[in-house]
Amino acid sequence: MTNTAKTKVHKSRSVKSVILNIAVVALCLCYLFPIYIILVNSFKSRSELYDNILAIPQSFSFQYYAKAMDKMNFLRALSNSVIVTVVSILFIIVLASMTAWMLVRVNNKLSKVLFNIFVATMLIPFQTLMMPLMQEMGWIRDTLHIPMMDTLGGLIFMNIGFGASMAVFLFHGFVKSIPVSLEEAATIDGCNKFGVFWKIVFPMLKPTTVTVMILDVIWIWNDYLLPSLVLSSKANRTIPLSTFSFFGQFTIQWNMAMAGLMLTIIPVIIFYLCAQKYIIKGVAAGAVK
Amino acid sequence: MKLKKVTSVLLAAAMTASMVLAGCGNSSSGETKKAEDKTEAAKETEAPKADKVETEAAKTQSGDDVESAKKIILFQSKVEIIDQLEELAEAYEDETGVEVEVWGTTGDDYFQQLKTKLANNQGPTVFSLAPGAESVQMTSYLADLSDISFADKIAEGMGNEIDGKLVGIPYTAEGFGLVYNKSLYDPSKVTDTDSLIKYLEEQKAADINGLGLSSESYFLIGHILNTPFALQENPVEFVQKLGAGEVKMADTPEFQEFAKLYAAIRDNCVNPLEQTYDKEIGDFATGKSATIHQGNWAAGMFADYEMDFEMGLAPLPLAGNDKLAVSVPTAWYVNSQATPEEQKAGKEFLEWLYTSETGTDYLMNKFGFIPVVDGMENENMDVLSQDVSKYIADGKTITWPMNEWPAGSVDVYLVPVAQEFFTTDMTPEDFLAKLDEAWAQASK
Amino acid sequence: MKKKKTAGWYALFTLPLIFIFSLVVVIPFLIGIGYSFFSWDGLPLNPKIFVGFENYVNLFSDSRFMTSAGHTVLFTIFAIILINILGLAFALMVTSKLRVKNAARAMLFMPYLIGGLILGYIWKFIFTDAFQAIGEATGLTGIFFNWLLNPRFALVALVIVSTWQMAGYIMIIYITGIMGIPDDVIEAAQVDGAGFWQTLFRIKFPLIMPSFTICLFMTLSNCFKIFDVNLSLTGGGPSNATEMFAMNIYNEIFSLNNFGYGQAKAIVFFLVVAVITMVQVSITKKREVEMQ
Repeated sequence: MTNTAKTKVHKSRSVKSVILNIAVVALCLCYLFPIYIILVNSFKSRSELYDNILAIPQSFSFQYYAKAMDKMNFLRALSNSVIVTVVSILFIIVLASMTAWMLVRVNNKLSKVLFNIFVATMLIPFQTLMMPLMQEMGWIRDTLHIPMMDTLGGLIFMNIGFGASMAVFLFHGFVKSIPVSLEEAATIDGCNKFGVFWKIVFPMLKPTTVTVMILDVIWIWNDYLLPSLVLSSKANRTIPLSTFSFFGQFTIQWNMAMAGLMLTIIPVIIFYLCAQKYIIKGVAAGAVK
Repeated sequence: MKLKKVTSVLLAAAMTASMVLAGCGNSSSGETKKAEDKTEAAKETEAPKADKVETEAAKTQSGDDVESAKKIILFQSKVEIIDQLEELAEAYEDETGVEVEVWGTTGDDYFQQLKTKLANNQGPTVFSLAPGAESVQMTSYLADLSDISFADKIAEGMGNEIDGKLVGIPYTAEGFGLVYNKSLYDPSKVTDTDSLIKYLEEQKAADINGLGLSSESYFLIGHILNTPFALQENPVEFVQKLGAGEVKMADTPEFQEFAKLYAAIRDNCVNPLEQTYDKEIGDFATGKSATIHQGNWAAGMFADYEMDFEMGLAPLPLAGNDKLAVSVPTAWYVNSQATPEEQKAGKEFLEWLYTSETGTDYLMNKFGFIPVVDGMENENMDVLSQDVSKYIADGKTITWPMNEWPAGSVDVYLVPVAQEFFTTDMTPEDFLAKLDEAWAQASK
Repeated sequence: MKKKKTAGWYALFTLPLIFIFSLVVVIPFLIGIGYSFFSWDGLPLNPKIFVGFENYVNLFSDSRFMTSAGHTVLFTIFAIILINILGLAFALMVTSKLRVKNAARAMLFMPYLIGGLILGYIWKFIFTDAFQAIGEATGLTGIFFNWLLNPRFALVALVIVSTWQMAGYIMIIYITGIMGIPDDVIEAAQVDGAGFWQTLFRIKFPLIMPSFTICLFMTLSNCFKIFDVNLSLTGGGPSNATEMFAMNIYNEIFSLNNFGYGQAKAIVFFLVVAVITMVQVSITKKREVEMQ
């Protein structure tokens, strides 16, 4: 093949790939059309919004963002949200991965029953649990004097409970794909179960760990209903709770609500962009048969 | 890069956490958790959970004032006044030294939140409810407020009394009817159902929306259906009879006229299901709608618009009605399950709110309420509230029997019927029959 | 001796989570079952009347509940299919050798970050305002009209919005699965001359069977439980045509104050869904084994 022919092939391929890339981006942008609506309307007054909901705003002043941040007591809410999210997820990942591993490795009736209970509870609509849950937690507070209500710790405790099922379910699925032989080798080397799990198994679960982390971050970060029941005082409000005053009974303050929403999702997007690198190809590759 | 650090910190923490678990053995894992919760609680100094702690503190701090708590918690549904309410809380603390904590929730799920909080004794000291079916359901949680000093100054019929005891102090009065454009609609010329229908037809010919409704439950059917109820001789009794099946809407003249009007709206006006509250307001503000069925609460929604006409609030002239539907949308209640000290503090707060200079200034000027207690006046009311005031002063008001309707009936039972009516060619007669049917189910 | 030791480790690894999980989920659920035998409005000071199985009996003659069950099943079937096809397609797209794949991933995943309530309101704008504008501009008023006013199209709208929201979420799980496929397997197939479709169906799909199981289960449970979007997008309308299970239960408990009856509905709902999903999981699990 001559040189020119080579470059031609090369060129046509790169042109094709550029087109393909552009097409994908265009597709994604179309997909994000609703987000465009959120964005433009966070800059509009009520009359401008009425005028044309789809139009680009007349001016891009960040006044509604500033106002929303002020009303939300943003920094306080942000730190509450971060504490709740990080601590809850930490516990969920540690406890659920350990549980899932045992449930897979000790393959008896009990494990099967436990696993099925975890899975089945994922189907319970939260609305049916909330009243009894709050009563129970109120009872724990009153009789055992453990401050379950209106503390971030109480909310974290409940988040762990609600996050348990899905995390166990996901870890369970992926532990199965790890060959036992590796663990057996480690046991022979004198590791106890604890060592085996943390040294051998947990590192291999990394892609799942990151997946669980991402899914749980989204859920806990955006959760409104549970925190609204558990946390009452102003000092404890998380980000979704702090936007409440934009939502009246009959009317929504659109600009503030949209601005508040953008402020809520930006941290999660940044988190996702960082975290997704860790679903690395090939980490589990050696393990899958 | 940063994330790597974070992850490694997380993993390290995870390791230590599980070490702790391992160290304590499984049986004490619960205790580990407890300890953690305790430290968490210790960090949160502002946690108001400690009802008991609070009252104990009050006892020890001021030996002579054992009676009322040093902190009360306020939980209410009107999110529009939340900023002013928080200012008010500060003002109250400055004047009396009693801390007022304001809890927040969205307007939509307030009632559900309140119920859940009361159910686990996490209840607020002072809260709001809609007087009527809602407050009756909560009767066992409502403290007797009869001994409050301004009890006899509350305007006739505005205080919420249950079993002869005053339990609810009204926020304000609200009135609804037709919010109208003075250059397009003249209330003196449209005085009954037929003339209103004729007006709608004329407006359609002029390419103007004669009467705007919107798709939100109360704006679609709740408020407008209130009128035929209120026109009955004894509206509350009528609601009961209707529930018992002794009367039917289909056989009642006012309802027949209502159905006729509803059909005329379907034929001549913009489909309410296509409208939202925001759009309804926008259409009116820009002159596309001559009237909308709304109340004085909508005044704030016009703030963003430059309007080149005057507006007013007039009765819905259904069956010759010339009165505004006026009542109390929300009232304050004191939680009877709070400690006696807290209840006392709650009453003192209401006392202050309705009698002190600062308190009344907030009610009138900052919240923009219409006075419902004698001796209060509001000089800078918006135009719609002025009209409501005028109708109250003239005694030309009808009530809100809709507050006595079975709980949830509007959203769960009436709205679907209205939606069906506006998306099909259902006749007015069928419409009433369906409403009767829905009502029977709602009253079960 | 050894057995005892294993039991100890077993307890050590599983008990902490089981303890928390029981307190937060299992016990409230059992209490909830208890309440389903009472006629009660949910307020502790108000009377609870024991009615035995009456709530359960009434439920079967509750035509509105049964209709909502029908809607939910219909909705779930369509939503599951669409979400999984789209989620898988996205996952395949962003795991290819595209240069923009990271950006694409983040973008496709964004919808799930928006809470269901707001999302419903936003889409309401689209189905009412944007659709009308498009319809008027293109003259295709047969397709672009206010979908939320037509019982059938409102259900389709609900499927579309849920798909839009969930596809990115499901994509993440499929990505994890696809990333787990060893490179050499794919390369070997390509060396053997397998085309794109062959690689897809013969190599990739069988190897991500566990992801299928997980994704099907997650979409199934999420779709059955759909509430937020239902409430804010259609509110169950027009005329109840899109009222789903969860919303029906929610209304019963919080709007109509029939807490006991609402709980009974929830229990029945749970049993139905549990049976369906268990069947689904066992079928796909079997497939997993066969495929491997």
